[in-house]
Amino acid sequence: MLRVDVAERANWKTLAHELGFHFHTIGGEPYWKESAYYQFSLDQIERDIETPTEELHEMCMELVDRVCHSNALMQRLALPEFMWDTIHDSWVSGQPHLYGRMDFAYSGQGHAKLLELNYDTPTSLYEAGFFQWVWLEQAIQQGIIPRHADQYNSIQERLINAIAHIGDRLGSAEMYFSCIKDNDEERATVHYLQDVAVQAGLKAPFIYTEDIGYQRDGDYFVDLDNQPIQALFKLYPWEELADDAFGEKIPQLHTHWFEPPWKAILSNKGILPLLWEHFKGHPNLLPAYFEERSPSPLPPGWVRKPFFSREGSNIELLTPEGQREAVDGPYTDSPWIRQAYHPMPRFGEHHALIGSWVVGDRACGIGVREDVGRITKDSSCFVPHAIV
Amino acid sequence: MAHNDQTPHLPRRKRSARLSLAMMGASAFGLTACGQPEQTTDVSFDSPRSYQSVDECVAADVYTRSACEDAYEASVQEVPRFNTLEECEAEHGEGACTAPTEQQSQAATGSSGGGWFMPAMMGYMVGNMMSRTSHGATNRGVYQEPVYRNRQNQGNWNTATNQATQRVNQRHQALRTTATQNRQATQRRGFGSRSSARGGWGS
Repeated sequence: MLRVDVAERANWKTLAHELGFHFHTIGGEPYWKESAYYQFSLDQIERDIETPTEELHEMCMELVDRVCHSNALMQRLALPEFMWDTIHDSWVSGQPHLYGRMDFAYSGQGHAKLLELNYDTPTSLYEAGFFQWVWLEQAIQQGIIPRHADQYNSIQERLINAIAHIGDRLGSAEMYFSCIKDNDEERATVHYLQDVAVQAGLKAPFIYTEDIGYQRDGDYFVDLDNQPIQALFKLYPWEELADDAFGEKIPQLHTHWFEPPWKAILSNKGILPLLWEHFKGHPNLLPAYFEERSPSPLPPGWVRKPFFSREGSNIELLTPEGQREAVDGPYTDSPWIRQAYHPMPRFGEHHALIGSWVVGDRACGIGVREDVGRITKDSSCFVPHAIV
Repeated sequence: MAHNDQTPHLPRRKRSARLSLAMMGASAFGLTACGQPEQTTDVSFDSPRSYQSVDECVAADVYTRSACEDAYEASVQEVPRFNTLEECEAEHGEGACTAPTEQQSQAATGSSGGGWFMPAMMGYMVGNMMSRTSHGATNRGVYQEPVYRNRQNQGNWNTATNQATQRVNQRHQALRTTATQNRQATQRRGFGSRSSARGGWGS
């Protein structure tokens, strides 16, 4: 694994705008960066990323099954009690999920270490699944990277298959897509998923999360024309949905949610200590514990994370050498976990984080984010990768 | 898994051969991977659909029986095979494996002699694989692949209830007419009212 400096494509910003990638620059700072790419060998991808991703995914599914059959574990993960049956039922009836992303610390040698799961509202999907792929093809055509270069990326193709499968299982091949207002990046991600759904043969109307309607005697949540929403993709976390004013209506109505309710189990950093409890010593896992245990069994060198947190917020770390780093945020009202500190691989001044995608039940591609700090945040840059 | 991306006539590759956007961006966009043999350029999947069995595929009346059978056979061939039930369960979980049926055994190995085990299949994908070249479009057969692993104790989500759902829909259709006449009050802003750290919820 190397970080290789290369020329940018001359036209890429124009192309990005033509292809709907308006958030390539966020708040004046670059988000998409192609003045370098991360280079992997095929062995590194298949042996160290793809195989462990599928294995960890199966371990997660096993844990979901355990949690679904244990009120004690539901409680331990701070899942609201009125949702327990809905979570359980969505799992045992086999409601399919769409996707998830695992974040790994990996330097090119040794085992990739799972830092966390983003299995409910993962983003950076468009840039990983589509724009990165376009970069590779054009970089080859323009002689920027070797002609035999490849990329670990069948993300979009697999999304189309997974959504087509879901569409066939729905009464009508229609899925609404939603995200909250006033966020261009999330709207673009949802727009991309709508595009994928259309390519999979579904109707894919959009509704803002805030506009979803509830009628007292209805069977479904409704759209702005009061039409029933049978299936709804939400780029909005389960813990927030449950906590919102309509949260308690969810178990009463027939609307199918994507990701399904059982993803609430994996949307929660409490899954990391549970993974460690059940698969202790697995080479791709880091030791992790619920913070209620005292004293903490971890020696100096830990990362402290709230159960519910997004994009690096409220994360605090202490290196074994005593260096402290922290990111502020609003997620202070949930329980905490501690995970053993694992140094992020450095390439020059950059810390690289590998996001490994699972679509359906298949590992199918990666995206690399880099940051000068040790905690990957929403401002971290997306850098393309190639297999050479 | 690595072997799933191999097709006999192409070098091993880890990326899709072709991607396109249908509606996002200024204009329709499609790009084909370089270094592809001419006859497989610009491959697109035409509305893939998934089926539980060959019979369900045939019953859907979209593909011919032979297309359904070909896709099923190719799909079964992609499923990993194990010598013992224990080896299979070690990889795929307890209760997730099964001996092949006569039909699956035939499809996978060309013989009915079992003696091996595989993860149970939840369904398989079938789609027209169209190949467009400068000489026009030709149908290059069917495309198939398992999407989800079968898991123990899990139901067949929404297939068994489809008819019931449709009945509910019809009832809802009737109710809605009434509801609209009654101008039933719809409440909104019951979701998404809280703001997040940075005005978004992706991660």
